[in-house]
Amino acid sequence: MTATASGAARYAGTRVPRVEDARLLQGRGTYVDDVSRPGMLHACFVRSPYARATIVSIDARDALGIPGVRAVFTADDLIPMVREQWYTSMGKDVPDTPRPPLAHGSVRHVGDIVAIVVAVDRYVAEDAADAVEVEYEPLPPVVDYAAARRRHDLVHDGYPDNVAGALGRPASDDLLAGFEGAAHDISVSIHQQAYAPVPMETRGLIVEWSGDELQVWASTQSPHEVRMFFARLLGIGEHQVRVVARDTGGGFGQKVVPMREEMAVALAAVRLARPVKWIEDRRENLLSAGMSRHEHGDCRMSFDADGHLLAAHIDHVQDVGAYPTPWPVGTAAAVGMLFPGGYRCPAAGWRSTSVFSNTSGRAAYRGPWQFETLAREVLLDLAARRMSIDPIELRRRNLLRRDELPTRNANGMPYSDMTPLECFEHALERFDLTAFRSEQDAARNDGRYLGVGTSSYVEPTTTAMAFYGTEGATIRIEPTGKVNVYLAGGSSGNSLETTAIQLTADALGVDIADVRTVQGDTAVTPFGAGTGGSRSGSMVAGAIEQAAAPLRDRIRAIAAARLEAAVDDIVVEHGAAFARGTPSVNVSIAEIADIAYFRPALLPAGVAPGLESSARYHAVAPIIWANASHICTCEVDIVTGAVKILRYVVSEDCGPMINPNVVEGQIAGGVVQGIGGVLLEHLAYDDDGNPLTTTFMDYLLPTAADVPMIEFGHVETPGPGPGGYKGVGEGGAIAAPAAVVNAIADALAPFGVEITRLPLSPAAVVELIAGVR
Amino acid sequence: MKAAPFHYHRPGTVAEAVELLSTHGDEAKLLAGGQSLVPMMALRLASFGHLIDIGRLEELRGVRSDGDRVVIGAGTTQATIERSAVIETAVPLLTRATPFIGHFQIRNRGTIGGSLVHCDPAAEYPAVALALDARFDITGPGGARTVEASEFFTGHWATAVAGDEVLTAISFPVASGRSGFAIREFARRQGDFAIAGAAVSLALAADDRISQCAIAMFGLGPTPLRATAVELALAGSPAGETDAAGLGVASVEGLESIPSDLHGSAEYRRRGGAAVVADAWRAALEEALR
Repeated sequence: MTATASGAARYAGTRVPRVEDARLLQGRGTYVDDVSRPGMLHACFVRSPYARATIVSIDARDALGIPGVRAVFTADDLIPMVREQWYTSMGKDVPDTPRPPLAHGSVRHVGDIVAIVVAVDRYVAEDAADAVEVEYEPLPPVVDYAAARRRHDLVHDGYPDNVAGALGRPASDDLLAGFEGAAHDISVSIHQQAYAPVPMETRGLIVEWSGDELQVWASTQSPHEVRMFFARLLGIGEHQVRVVARDTGGGFGQKVVPMREEMAVALAAVRLARPVKWIEDRRENLLSAGMSRHEHGDCRMSFDADGHLLAAHIDHVQDVGAYPTPWPVGTAAAVGMLFPGGYRCPAAGWRSTSVFSNTSGRAAYRGPWQFETLAREVLLDLAARRMSIDPIELRRRNLLRRDELPTRNANGMPYSDMTPLECFEHALERFDLTAFRSEQDAARNDGRYLGVGTSSYVEPTTTAMAFYGTEGATIRIEPTGKVNVYLAGGSSGNSLETTAIQLTADALGVDIADVRTVQGDTAVTPFGAGTGGSRSGSMVAGAIEQAAAPLRDRIRAIAAARLEAAVDDIVVEHGAAFARGTPSVNVSIAEIADIAYFRPALLPAGVAPGLESSARYHAVAPIIWANASHICTCEVDIVTGAVKILRYVVSEDCGPMINPNVVEGQIAGGVVQGIGGVLLEHLAYDDDGNPLTTTFMDYLLPTAADVPMIEFGHVETPGPGPGGYKGVGEGGAIAAPAAVVNAIADALAPFGVEITRLPLSPAAVVELIAGVR
Repeated sequence: MKAAPFHYHRPGTVAEAVELLSTHGDEAKLLAGGQSLVPMMALRLASFGHLIDIGRLEELRGVRSDGDRVVIGAGTTQATIERSAVIETAVPLLTRATPFIGHFQIRNRGTIGGSLVHCDPAAEYPAVALALDARFDITGPGGARTVEASEFFTGHWATAVAGDEVLTAISFPVASGRSGFAIREFARRQGDFAIAGAAVSLALAADDRISQCAIAMFGLGPTPLRATAVELALAGSPAGETDAAGLGVASVEGLESIPSDLHGSAEYRRRGGAAVVADAWRAALEEALR
């Protein structure tokens, strides 16, 4: 299947400017907070100041006495309204972890929701929240997840040893043989700190209940998930719920499903039968919207005398906080299964354990399994140095070539259509390692420390399980010949509108200016799973092509009759149909539409009136594999420990690109998050479970000044799906941390420093150097 | 993140502001650029019953030369200072310190008086004022008085400005002779409060000896601090023989209240402090010798 059956692709593959930009850059977007409803009330939460405590009493009398306060609801008021609570994306049968909309009886992290206050505005709501008196009986908190399995104190009763779940692949004889007698057997524990998605637009929603219809304005990656979830939560029909999400200012996984606050707002709005708005502030976002990363692995790899990888094993443990959202155990399995990465590795095994703690719950974040890449790539550099092999040479000896695929990795993952070694070489060619090494030598002679690090990953994108396996599109060529394409949406800055318009214009052979897209309104768009899992490019391409194909046939049939030519000879380009070879004798799409709608008598026999088509695409492959290699260089100031990133090169293979600007934008955003995750971002808690980073004064995001221009290289190997397109949304964030860590490790190699613990704040870098001196 | 209720006052004169301060006592707070106060109120870390907005008082704004000093109205924005040709010539250290303050959006609103009275221990302007022996004009119910920089910074987020007083202007000596000025700081990111910073001012005699010098450090204690002992030891010594690295270490050696937090331990800050003092010294000396 191709997206270009109507003729040469005009737009796919080109740098079409984003159609979203004019609206968003002029401040004309419509985010949830831009929406106002008549009689709308505002919500605010009473949150726990303790990491773990029993709620002795809640007294809202003073709060309710404040003018403008409409309600204060606690768990006792709202939880009885809950009918069903499970996410479509996970299915109702997963052994999901507890996630009550409000704390019931006890609180489990600082920021836990004790009550929801609803008032005429947010100011009054906050005044009232301060006036709610809650008596707590503090309990010893379980803050350190790494020690949580040895604690008698439990985050949730019913989860012994604080384990939320564990999965693994038992050590096979092959694995044991791979380690036994190997020339090099290298083990290391690698630790990553907590950091978070931190979307520019925080969470938020408006819920309005008319007694018959629930209308929701949401900041979400998946309007249809919100719709189905709220229908179940409230015990009403899916068809009674309309979810609108016009613009969403970043999600990165945090907005794949509604979280606890969003449930509480929906319940309160139904109870009050008034529109209720909640716009999360930044403090709440850093306190309660979830943390990510925060995991460690005991990693082991063995090599023969020539540095060929023989076996790999990871024992992975992740912090899932108090109320992980969504169910975190399954994702952690991907860390284990992908640990061998794009390398030839005859034997492998893994174990992964998810552990509760009295901290903010684990949330999905761009490449939720990225620890496999961090752990593997850091271990490979460390192993190379211990074996006295250049880290880049070690990778050359072990990376898979395209001609070795398809194959299964030693954990059973079915690799295909990838270019691990080819991408690595492509990046190195642009980079020029020889020149860098001489620059590095010269700098060291001046007492300056430069380093280079690489990181390569393979990624299962567009994973087509259940909820994610199909996607719908509706295309309407309107009576004037203008085109609207309707998609579920869920764009949170992913350029999904531009992508849809490019693909539709190509599929129909019309000008891009004649196509618009409608997304993010469950009342008018087909069902879709939203953005997540690097799926939208491929799935939307499939849906659009499938919806466009019958329209194309109808256009050509009408044109053939009009032009008295054979249907097979009709070509549609630039908004007009003509017989091949005679473009000057043509009939415009507008005229064809006029016939289709208003002059049905002119339609050829068997051609239905109108030009509207809906179709549902079923993914042709269970997984579409993508891969990339990143190269980072840096300079480390050994006095202050400051790290300056100098160059950043990415060569990636996401197949043919629909729009290189969009591909590069996705990669750049992910890379910046990875750089931030190594050098700056740290969602930290003290020993009592108090969050230390609840403002942007303390939670440090990378700025433009902290990031170099990123250089992009593209290797375009078609995947098995429509257009050969592969997913590209998450890769930047997956690969970047290890590239940065390895660059710093290389810079500090003269000191014998080995890096196994993040983040690498300047103070941490100084300690590393001091520790080996 | 919404402030608790408060009454808002916008006096037309400094005298009216002083009167409002007297009337409302502890419940009153002056609002200038609001770049620290407003976020603190929004986070409900601070709460005041009465905000007295002096941000639009013309009498508090402006830069003028007054003999051997430059007088800057306390309500002058950091952005105005950054662009002032008078200040660039007469008080170059102030010009050079300004880009370190937050980001340009913050400097468009933030005022010099607000920075000095808020007196964040890691802020740049208090250290510059201390290094340059600035003078502070303060008006209260009892009239106007002038306080020397050495008496102004009284403790952690505390200054000589009483609760019923308004800082109206700050004056700096005009740079003259063979002088050099430099400010260096180390922060996690451009625009962040410093982990450690240093402002150095020095002057050379005709024989290239240090005739005067000041080393002010910030982020390394509850207030900006002068390295007085080091300064005394340097006075009179030949410029070419000063050991920047050594005086950097000596400047931070005796510091006893260096903060410690997520971004670095006290010892880490001490190390960074030594480095920034040394860097600032080298740069100031190079300028003076030029």
